[in-house]
Amino acid sequence: MDRRMLLKGAAGLGAMAASGGLSRPAISQGAAAKTLRFVPQANLANFDPIWGTQYVVRNAAAMVWDTLYGFDSNLEPKPQMAESAEVSSDGLTWTFKLRPNLKFHDGTPVLAKDVVASLARWAVRDPMGQMIIAIQNELTAVDDRTVKWLLKKPYPKMLLALGKNNTPIAFIMPERIAKTDPFKQIDEYIGSGPMKFAKGEWVPGAKAVFEKFTDYVPRQEPASWLAGGKNMLIDRIEWIVMPDPATASSALQNGEVDWWENPISDLVPVLKKNRNISVDIADSLGNIGSFRMNHLHPPFNDVKVRRAVLMALDQEEYMRALVGDDNALWKPLPGFFTPDTPLYTESGGEILKMKNLAAAKKLLSESSYSGQPVTCIVAQDQPITKAQGDVTAELLKRLGMNVDFVATDWGTTGQRRAQKSPPGQGGWSMFHTWHAGADCISPAPYNAVRANGDKAWFGWPNSEEVEKEVSNWFDAKTLDEEKVVMARLNKAALDHVVYAPTGFFLGYQAWRKNVSGITKGPLPWFWGVSKSA
Amino acid sequence: MLSYILRRIAATIPVMGFVALFVFSLLYVAPGDPAAVIAGDQATPQDIERIRQSLGLDRPFLIRFGEWVWQLMQGNLGKSIFTGLPVSQLIGQRLEPTISLMIVTLIMSIMIAVPMGVIAAWKAGTFLDRLIMAFAVFGFSVPVFVVGYLLAYVFALEFGWFPVQGYTPIARGFWAWLDNLILPSIALGCVYIALIARITRATMLEVLQQDYVRTARAKGLGQRSILFLHALKNAAVPIVTVIGIGIALLIGGAVVTESVFAIPGLGRLTVDAILRRDYPVIQGVVLFFSFIYVIVNLLIDIAYTFLDPRIRY
Repeated sequence: MDRRMLLKGAAGLGAMAASGGLSRPAISQGAAAKTLRFVPQANLANFDPIWGTQYVVRNAAAMVWDTLYGFDSNLEPKPQMAESAEVSSDGLTWTFKLRPNLKFHDGTPVLAKDVVASLARWAVRDPMGQMIIAIQNELTAVDDRTVKWLLKKPYPKMLLALGKNNTPIAFIMPERIAKTDPFKQIDEYIGSGPMKFAKGEWVPGAKAVFEKFTDYVPRQEPASWLAGGKNMLIDRIEWIVMPDPATASSALQNGEVDWWENPISDLVPVLKKNRNISVDIADSLGNIGSFRMNHLHPPFNDVKVRRAVLMALDQEEYMRALVGDDNALWKPLPGFFTPDTPLYTESGGEILKMKNLAAAKKLLSESSYSGQPVTCIVAQDQPITKAQGDVTAELLKRLGMNVDFVATDWGTTGQRRAQKSPPGQGGWSMFHTWHAGADCISPAPYNAVRANGDKAWFGWPNSEEVEKEVSNWFDAKTLDEEKVVMARLNKAALDHVVYAPTGFFLGYQAWRKNVSGITKGPLPWFWGVSKSA
Repeated sequence: MLSYILRRIAATIPVMGFVALFVFSLLYVAPGDPAAVIAGDQATPQDIERIRQSLGLDRPFLIRFGEWVWQLMQGNLGKSIFTGLPVSQLIGQRLEPTISLMIVTLIMSIMIAVPMGVIAAWKAGTFLDRLIMAFAVFGFSVPVFVVGYLLAYVFALEFGWFPVQGYTPIARGFWAWLDNLILPSIALGCVYIALIARITRATMLEVLQQDYVRTARAKGLGQRSILFLHALKNAAVPIVTVIGIGIALLIGGAVVTESVFAIPGLGRLTVDAILRRDYPVIQGVVLFFSFIYVIVNLLIDIAYTFLDPRIRY
């Protein structure tokens, strides 16, 4: 019996006990009804959402820091701190006016100078922000509530940049904090969002606490993701870090925690059997599995080799390895963009539907591949990458490639994938990861689909055609124009094999039934969530 | 004795110095990059490089080591790369749960294991002896996390007697504190109980063969008096030694136990720091554990003089 089976068994017994009347309430619960205990996806190891761009930091920061604009569930940017935004007829001047009576957690008013400093810091670290800086004339505070952004050329995607929910989000901080070097960490966590961060109670690796900001003035519209009225119905939120999924499962069954962000698929059947627990898809935008090939060195510097791999791969094998038998959790993805979003396209996706090993072998034999080792790096401390890596190793062997499988941890993978040296000299041939579907709805937040050579994401693909279509998309003015460009972009990226998509998959979240108001989304939204005794 | 104690404490300084150098060197040559972890999965190589520079990770080994030693000499363990919080504060936050877990485990283990070993030796060769030794083998063989899950299932989920996870500081009440520690202490203590029980049995068997025990029996002393007053005291030195050595086992086991029962202790801090390559935290924790280990050994040495008057320093 391996550890995974044991986890499943132990948790299964627990579920049986909890749902079958064997259990009695734990004697050690006793937390106030207005306190919500949440098990996040990972440890909140730092708390600067511009400096460190992990999802868990962003998710916590979304409670503490507010934004000028915020995506709603239709993926449209809507005003949040902004009362209004105007763009001049030539598209060169953006003017934002702040809502009145906005306050930071230290009681000081939110002023235009705070917005200016915050946007300046964010822009250094954000790809869209960097594009804006490149065409910026001036970013200034006109008065206490008005910010002007003067550009050298129009930037139609401005509101998208300010409202997007991929990291780093354009959070607004007090000027004195926002003036921190974007590559250095802030040490004050003052925002103007609906929850305050209780720094004194922070035990990194174990617990983070957020308290309701009573002076927060929510918008009057209904809440929708980062947009609308962020009404807090909970006084205190405790994030309890649990590195062990079986412990988190038991704690949820025992009522010691209220909400678990990402139960592993092995334990979901157990949780579903418990009458006190609700289980649902966490984020319908899901995730896109991927492995990235290194375009700089043999064998994957040859597009024929990359295409041979794409021809041979079977996305179902990858998805089964990730989500097991649950068909509700995955779908094939013959493209790069998130299914069921406005710009989704399958143009050029035939190669991912082939699953033709013989044709792939033939193409490989016509390529420059001469049997050299393929250094495949896998972070085995991340189950999603490990599962994909195992499938890839098999795939490459079937294809007749010589696999050098390097199972390591994420810290090492993160370092090694940044090396541009050849695989035999400390570099790599391929590594596995996944992309949040929310980040793959368009080319704007999507580093992995870019092919701008040295400036591209790890793997450094270089394709003028892909980049031309990305640029066309940024310039597109209507949704129809965007869709046409996206079809061309998807095809170009697949022809070039910018990376290999291994399928689209979803994850669950689970919560006690006395908690209500939990909705689906790329982040856990805490506004509108309530808890009965 | 006082001069011996002072000498021993002074001797910890070079020991810890070597440990520090060793750990620092290991971390320097080990693969992995905190900047890559900080930057997150979507970061670009340029982002990672800028973060490396801002953290000073691109500087030569000797400069980084020298700065760290200089800070250390001023009583400063440095700041965590990730949280920006002082390492001493992070260790301080995690100290109480780990020390509590170790103390409860230690007391419980000694109270269970020593009588078990004595009884096994007294009843050597009988069913009771075999039963006790079978338990000892079980305790040694079953991984801590297996015992932990089983205990959590039976006593937390099924009976609802104890919480599954977490830690309550002793300041919030003794029973609340103990409530959180009982299951993890049992899980962690299994190996320790087994170790002490086996050593106690073996040592007691040897002592029970000695002439003075035979004499005591001949004089008509009661079995309890012979076992616990005469024999056990003379068998105590090896038992105390193994208790001391076992502290290292406890430290290792605490890492797993703290994860299974979600206890925010030093074990979890260490694992998290290693996975993230948070060098100052790793160095601080290793130094701290080294110091604890040296002090425990000193206390054990001192205990010898009370248990065996022939031992002098």
